[in-house]
Amino acid sequence: MNLLSLAIRNLRRRKTRTLLTVAGVAIAVAILFSLLSFSAGYERQLTSEMENLGFNLLAVPKGCPYEATTLILHGGVIPKYLTNNDLNRTRATPGVAVAAPMLLQQVIKDGTPHIVYGIDPDAMIPLKPAWKVNGRFFTADETHVMVIGSTLAEAENLKPGSVLPFGPAQEPYTVIGVLEPTAGEDDNFHFLPLADAQRVFKKEGLITAIAVKADDVKDIPAIADELEKVPDIQVVTMAQVTGTIMNLVGSARSLLFSVIVIAIVISAAGITNTLLMSVNERTREIGMMKAIGASGFHIALLLLAETIIITALGGVIGIVAALAGSGLIEAFVRGIVPYAPSGSFVSFDPFLVAGCLAFSVGLGLLCGLYPAVKSARLSPMEAIRGEWE
Amino acid sequence: MSIIKATGISKTYRRGSEEVCALRGVDLAIETGEFVSIVGPSGAGKTALMNILGCLDIPSNGTLVIDGVKVTGKKEAELVKIRREHIGFVFQQFFLIPTLTVEENVGLPLIFSGKPYDKVKIDAILCRVGLSHRVGHLPSELSGGEMQRVAIGRALVNDPRILLADEPTGNLDSVTADGIYAVFEELHRQGLTLIIVTHNTELAKRAGRVITIRDGCVDRTCEQ
Repeated sequence: MNLLSLAIRNLRRRKTRTLLTVAGVAIAVAILFSLLSFSAGYERQLTSEMENLGFNLLAVPKGCPYEATTLILHGGVIPKYLTNNDLNRTRATPGVAVAAPMLLQQVIKDGTPHIVYGIDPDAMIPLKPAWKVNGRFFTADETHVMVIGSTLAEAENLKPGSVLPFGPAQEPYTVIGVLEPTAGEDDNFHFLPLADAQRVFKKEGLITAIAVKADDVKDIPAIADELEKVPDIQVVTMAQVTGTIMNLVGSARSLLFSVIVIAIVISAAGITNTLLMSVNERTREIGMMKAIGASGFHIALLLLAETIIITALGGVIGIVAALAGSGLIEAFVRGIVPYAPSGSFVSFDPFLVAGCLAFSVGLGLLCGLYPAVKSARLSPMEAIRGEWE
Repeated sequence: MSIIKATGISKTYRRGSEEVCALRGVDLAIETGEFVSIVGPSGAGKTALMNILGCLDIPSNGTLVIDGVKVTGKKEAELVKIRREHIGFVFQQFFLIPTLTVEENVGLPLIFSGKPYDKVKIDAILCRVGLSHRVGHLPSELSGGEMQRVAIGRALVNDPRILLADEPTGNLDSVTADGIYAVFEELHRQGLTLIIVTHNTELAKRAGRVITIRDGCVDRTCEQ
């Protein structure tokens, strides 16, 4: 037997109270871990997704705000269009390596919106080197063919060769290729040749946005300035989109961090209260221990050991719960932030795990300090008489 | 040779704005191996004297020497060491830890003294107090007399030279109290110095010397 086993026995003496305190710590640590993990994961995924887009800036119709641009990136439809003239002006701009036109439309199937991307394969495929297709890609002048994302293919049970009625006129379309998983939004889209998409949706000559890749990233500001001179075009760089999204997420993050602070304060008050009650109930016992040879240091160590056990256990349970429930947490976070990139935010980061555990133990030490010092300073006589206050 | 020598011990407590004088210039010498009972009416100062003799409390005035070491004026950290090495305590309320077994309760002081947790020694002590059949039991499974025997075992585990007991039979019936005194008598025969505070004058007479305290002073000393 030693001080640690004595501390464990003491905690087992008040099982319900101990479990409730552990639960309080676990909730606080789970929230802390999830939100820190989210914060790091969100930025990482967003940056990765922006890099995977394959282009540096997006030319969108004038008046299209940044929020609408994020909609476009997710396949949202906006009611403004560019024209082939704008595409030609863009392609003619010095420093532009690739300008890929896109028409975005939505079709509703069984009550679920499906996103349709009309693209020029000759321009778009070079921007997406990560794309691998099972089957084949279409050429620019084909009609009644499509390539689909892997998630969509799985959900709709489609594969190369499948024929489905498609578009407002329910024309027969053949799936000629399925993209291998990209871990991005592309997994959910229908891709059609641009001209065919314009025909099907009666948007001949119209374009939702133009993805632009620069010869050199240093040229991006100059290209943006040049394109802004075109009357119909507004330019949004991916850096601006990332910055705007991060600003929007910042306000959501402030709200979430205030939740963390409240959870931690409640948890800290719970731990301190538990310890003070425990010491108050055991004042005479502490007096006995001092009489039989325990020093103030022994008493403080015993109480701190009890606190550390509670907080370390709470920390471990909190982190395990956060990892186990990361799906729920992500669903919650995705619901309150304006733009959520694909991929998982909450992941097992050993440094974050160690940091959260250290935080919970540190919180315990802080909360346990006052009761520990107070009981350590009690004279044996006061303690045996039960004079705690 | 006196193992405890108290000279001019007085103790004044403050109770609110009022000062209460619990001991008034007590002179006392207890010889090594002696069995002493301290008796007296409630409020006479018996427990105050016991607490000072056991280094649990500090006298307001006077000098206390234990085993040749002057303890008055020492800090709490030094008093802890003296209590740990020289004195064993038995209380009226037993103060056993409910989640520890009999064996673990007896071994508890070893944690604080830094000595190894010696199960053989603990078993030998449990045998001395007649509890070798209760080693793995919890306090809630014991009778009052058995709990006090555990407390006595706990007081003995650090091999003290002095055992102080404050009303050790106060919570026990007469038959059980008689059994506890038999344990004390046996420990005395083995050479331990025993000082027992009690209200029970019949049991007190089983000691070699009975010191009566009245109004904070030694009223009389009676050799048996």
